[in-house]
Amino acid sequence: MLWQQLANGIAIGSVYALISLGLTMVYGILRILHVAHAGIYALGAYVGLFSFRLIGNFWLSLIVGMAGAAIAGYFVERLLYTPLLHLPRIAPLIVSIGLFTALEEAFRIVAGPHTLAYNARVGLGDLSIGSFHLTETQILILLVTLAILIFLWAFLTKTRTGLAMRACAQDPETTSSFGVNVSAIIAVNFLIGSAMAGAAGVLIGVYDNQVWPTMGSIPAYKALAIVVLGGLGNIPGTVLASIVVGLAETFFIGVLAIPFPRDAVAFVAMILVLMFKPYGLLGKA
Amino acid sequence: MISGYLVTILITIVIYAMLAHSLNIITGHAGQISLGHAAFFGIGAYTSAMLYTEAGFPFWTSVPLAAVVAGIVGALLGVPCLRVRDDFLAITTMGINFVVEAIFLYIPFFGGAMGIGGINLPKWFGREMTKPEYFFLILVVFVFFLLLDRQLGRSWIGLAWASIREDEQAAGAMGVDVVRFKVLAFILGSAIAGLAGGFYAHFLTFIMPQNFGFGQSIVILSMVVFGGIGTRWGPIAGAIILGVLPEISRPIMEYRTLIYGVLLLGMMRFQPGGLLGPESILSKTFQRTIYRLVSPE
Amino acid sequence: MGPYNILCMPITGPAAADGASAKNAVEQGLKEVNDAGGIKGKKVNLIIYDDRLNPQEAVAIANKLIEKDRVVGVASGSYSGPTRVTAPIFQKAGMPMVAGYAVHPDVTWDPKEKKPNDFCFRNGFLGEIEGAAAAEFAVKNLKAKKISLIFMDNDFGRAISSGFAARAEKLGATILSKQMYKFPGEKDFRPYLTRIKEGNPDLIFAAGYYNEAASICRQAKELGITSQILGEEGFDSPKFLEIAGPAAEGVIIATNLDRDDPRPLVQNFLKNYRKAYNEDADMVGASSYDAFMILVNAIGKAGTDAKAIQKALLGTKDYNGLTGKISRFIQGEVVKPVQIQVVKGGKFHRLGVVDNPEVITPPTKK
Repeated sequence: MLWQQLANGIAIGSVYALISLGLTMVYGILRILHVAHAGIYALGAYVGLFSFRLIGNFWLSLIVGMAGAAIAGYFVERLLYTPLLHLPRIAPLIVSIGLFTALEEAFRIVAGPHTLAYNARVGLGDLSIGSFHLTETQILILLVTLAILIFLWAFLTKTRTGLAMRACAQDPETTSSFGVNVSAIIAVNFLIGSAMAGAAGVLIGVYDNQVWPTMGSIPAYKALAIVVLGGLGNIPGTVLASIVVGLAETFFIGVLAIPFPRDAVAFVAMILVLMFKPYGLLGKA
Repeated sequence: MISGYLVTILITIVIYAMLAHSLNIITGHAGQISLGHAAFFGIGAYTSAMLYTEAGFPFWTSVPLAAVVAGIVGALLGVPCLRVRDDFLAITTMGINFVVEAIFLYIPFFGGAMGIGGINLPKWFGREMTKPEYFFLILVVFVFFLLLDRQLGRSWIGLAWASIREDEQAAGAMGVDVVRFKVLAFILGSAIAGLAGGFYAHFLTFIMPQNFGFGQSIVILSMVVFGGIGTRWGPIAGAIILGVLPEISRPIMEYRTLIYGVLLLGMMRFQPGGLLGPESILSKTFQRTIYRLVSPE
Repeated sequence: MGPYNILCMPITGPAAADGASAKNAVEQGLKEVNDAGGIKGKKVNLIIYDDRLNPQEAVAIANKLIEKDRVVGVASGSYSGPTRVTAPIFQKAGMPMVAGYAVHPDVTWDPKEKKPNDFCFRNGFLGEIEGAAAAEFAVKNLKAKKISLIFMDNDFGRAISSGFAARAEKLGATILSKQMYKFPGEKDFRPYLTRIKEGNPDLIFAAGYYNEAASICRQAKELGITSQILGEEGFDSPKFLEIAGPAAEGVIIATNLDRDDPRPLVQNFLKNYRKAYNEDADMVGASSYDAFMILVNAIGKAGTDAKAIQKALLGTKDYNGLTGKISRFIQGEVVKPVQIQVVKGGKFHRLGVVDNPEVITPPTKK
């Protein structure tokens, strides 16, 4: 049972990582608490689902979902966030909350209030070793997350754009003085971060076989807790925090059987860590 | 005689205004972002409800005690909260909101998911207060807080808050005890929110944990932002707008929440200072009109 | 001015899907009534408000219905929170109210005065009764000895599971575990189910709405759990069948809507609903429809005077409802048999009925 719970915990932790990474990247470069990121996540799920209904291929629908989310993320950045950067931090935060509310309502009005099924055949097959069992969708989540993490790592460390992005996160003004087009870097950052959220949306859609208008409302704040736990803007810290929260939740419920609300786990962990390390698990002042 | 419907909306507006006003002390005056204000609203409501239904306290003591308890919790949480800054603070307060809601939900003592019922309007002169009377009671209390706020704003406490809001480090360097004044803002803001919670519980007669979740915190923050952060009348304007908007938009019920989201977004995008902020179209028009009236040349 | 009936329900917000079902079903009921000439020749006018599942808004709506709209009666198509808050307001105003499916006991009961809200009626089962009926069927008919419970943490989940556990233990079954999950929002039941699998129960009693229900059944199947799953009325939706897919096969539920009921009332409703909305009706819709029709029926008998309507409701006897024959109301609580349905070939079908009066009669409170 322990191994099974471990697999359960890592699978859900991987999805948390995909959602939170985009959030932490956005924070790293713009210092905005992008609550509407969870709206982009749900949008990715809807775009993926509708494209799946049209084309009937899961992998293609995953890519379309990611692309849809990326484009939406780009417009959010250009039209809403960048014009507000000179204002106090609360302004983009409120814009983000307003946008998130509006997005959830738009999903309900366009796609209906009921949950839609994302009945995709992935074609991977289950994996069983004794009583230990990995389902097809769990394998899918682990593979896609791993692929995206490798891509992200390679992008940030091996390409010039990635290097410029990390430099921007450190000090945008100096980076700009070296002739780097900061505005383009920010755009790329949003495109990648939003695409990851879109992927997470599609994966959860398939994992739970459900896509529904308010699917973003719990990720919206849980991802924030995870991102803070990992040290706002810190990418390895975010991955670590995601897996820790996924495992902690699973073990609280499945092993210790403590009747504590799952969604408070991330926040309790966050508050405890912040009391001792005010900049998160791997964060620096 | 005002109708029950109207008085219901009026009571909602005054409770909202009290909440917005209390958050304005923390966020507007002292410059500390809080995304968890509904937690203190809930602590007040639950304190008052438990004292009233379980311990048999009358309204007249249960509600002031609600403010005291919320203020104490605000102080206890305010101290560690201030170890973290800006965005960390925003998310920490949000976390506190989730944890407080979880405590109400999971500790059977607080009635859990069933909530607490049987909280009635206060008694006076040997009978239960009518709703219009209740409205005037909380209105008087609110006006008292407004006057208090004005006095505070003019005093050295207000000056200290302003200095912290503008530049915390500079304020500290000039000898302002930053932590003490921040905690003071937390205590005051939480206590007033707790009082509003007590009034709310006795008005609704039934409370459950979900009434005090993160969504409620966002509603409170929206009111402050709509009206204008840090302004005196802004939070009241925000409370009126958010109290009345759901009612007047009833005919288009399918789109109500969408409109709320878009308004919030549009407001911040194009009028980030709020309706009554110094830079808003409304304020400018108002000033211009006054100017024209005073100097017709 | 014709007689009015009113319904408040969550159109937006987290419960929007159930609000839509309730609205559709009641509008269908309205059409039936008005097509048949209304009540005593007068058309019925329906006013629908959105409460966003927010008790505060529900209070404003209740006052508005009483004072501004001057309605004749109210049918509630919302959850416990809003319905529970408005019940004392309707009670005080002497306004008859029939709740479709809200489950909180205090909808029909004043906890402070310790007396019934005698203007408030409920068409849905009390959670405890539906739970007890499910346990009756589980132990007596399905011969379950070892049972695990999983339920959502809200008033309904807690009430139905405590009713189930009490009855099952009384009938000699063992409850292996009771797990409660957060509502709304829980999607990942694997940790709970992995734990249940350890105990290897004969039967899993699961409570949740269709989203949770579908997730529980699918994930149980994924994990290779073979125990019989027994659910409740929250499972009763075509959406459950759609999302759970093959995992729904063989799942048994306790509910109030019998789809194999031969009465034309039931079959016509199911057929017309499908025609009008291009989807199958669910329990929420059917219960809201009944709440509305019970009220229409009472107005038909008594006219528009609130006191007279209340009297007609109190005197309800063997009413032919969509969700079963209502023998009467006891302190506002409905008395009718609990339906047991099983999923076969992707559809709900009748498996049994629990009508043991010891189980389905609501307890009289003092």
